[in-house]
Amino acid sequence: MDSRSSSLADVLERVLDKGVVIVGDIAVNVVDIELLTLRLRLFIASAQTAREMGMDWWTNDPFFSPRQAQQAVAADEMAQLRARVVELEHMVAAKQLEGGSS
Amino acid sequence: MSVGLCAYAITREHVLAPLSPVGIRLITHRGLGLVVAEVELAPFAALGADPARWTAEPAEDDPLVVLARRHDVVVRAVFEHQPVLPLRFGTILRDEQAAVRLLANHHGEASTWLGRVDGHREWGVRARAAAPGKPAATPTDGLSGTEYLAMRRNRLTAAARTRRDAFTAAEALHEELTRHATECVPRKRKTATPLLDAAYLVPVNAEPAFHDETTRHDELAVEVTGPWPPYSFVRLELSAEEVAHA
Repeated sequence: MDSRSSSLADVLERVLDKGVVIVGDIAVNVVDIELLTLRLRLFIASAQTAREMGMDWWTNDPFFSPRQAQQAVAADEMAQLRARVVELEHMVAAKQLEGGSS
Repeated sequence: MSVGLCAYAITREHVLAPLSPVGIRLITHRGLGLVVAEVELAPFAALGADPARWTAEPAEDDPLVVLARRHDVVVRAVFEHQPVLPLRFGTILRDEQAAVRLLANHHGEASTWLGRVDGHREWGVRARAAAPGKPAATPTDGLSGTEYLAMRRNRLTAAARTRRDAFTAAEALHEELTRHATECVPRKRKTATPLLDAAYLVPVNAEPAFHDETTRHDELAVEVTGPWPPYSFVRLELSAEEVAHA
């Protein structure tokens, strides 16, 4: 698998954070540029980027997210139990009716 | 002071290609050239002004993005014809004299680095485990407890094996890529951790072999970016300070 692209994140990372650094005699305060680099880091750390990079593929996989799997199982069991309770209630009601009529 | 000299890259003295980006010129000194353009300083100065926006993901029309793209376009335009040492974004010199002094003071270093990157292009490679197919939803009805646990163990073992295989493949890939590259730097990313995330400086004639390697591993999803000017391979810090007050 091979996909070639220059995503915005890649461009920003290189342009803002790599290359020759020149200090001094610079008209725009260097501090501003350092702040920009900080902003870039925040951006790269964002969840959106992580998703773009496919970092969340495990979140729906029960074997890597057992908690989610457990929740799914719990929901299943709950539904089954509810159905069973309704069934039993019907049976009890039917028994009571039977008892009452005889 | 509303206009400054934005410096984009150091290159060898040459005649700029006729289709170079508008406003670009070369300030030369003893065989070296500094790629510059006169720029309005206001947009640069305004960049750091709004911290509230910093956590937002920059869009293409963000002032920072527009200026950064412009920087990349200029560096690339020169890089098409000549070796370049890209400067970090936001390098703005006072005047032409400062530019000449910069080239004069760092003539040796800059020449050495230009020789080092000549005939090379940078490629970024990221690899992660190929997205696994969804595990088949085996019905658990009618399984005994033992059978269920056995099934679960098998699946976990398989998943662990897949991860181990991907890890091994990524190491092998890196080794193969390094063979074709002159230099390699890992990229530092704090949050996301692909199995491989590195930049390679590859001689142009080794590029076909380099790219062949990236397609060989089915266990991996490989993403290649480039070609880039050698942004990641110039570890130079030049001080223009001593010349400012000379």
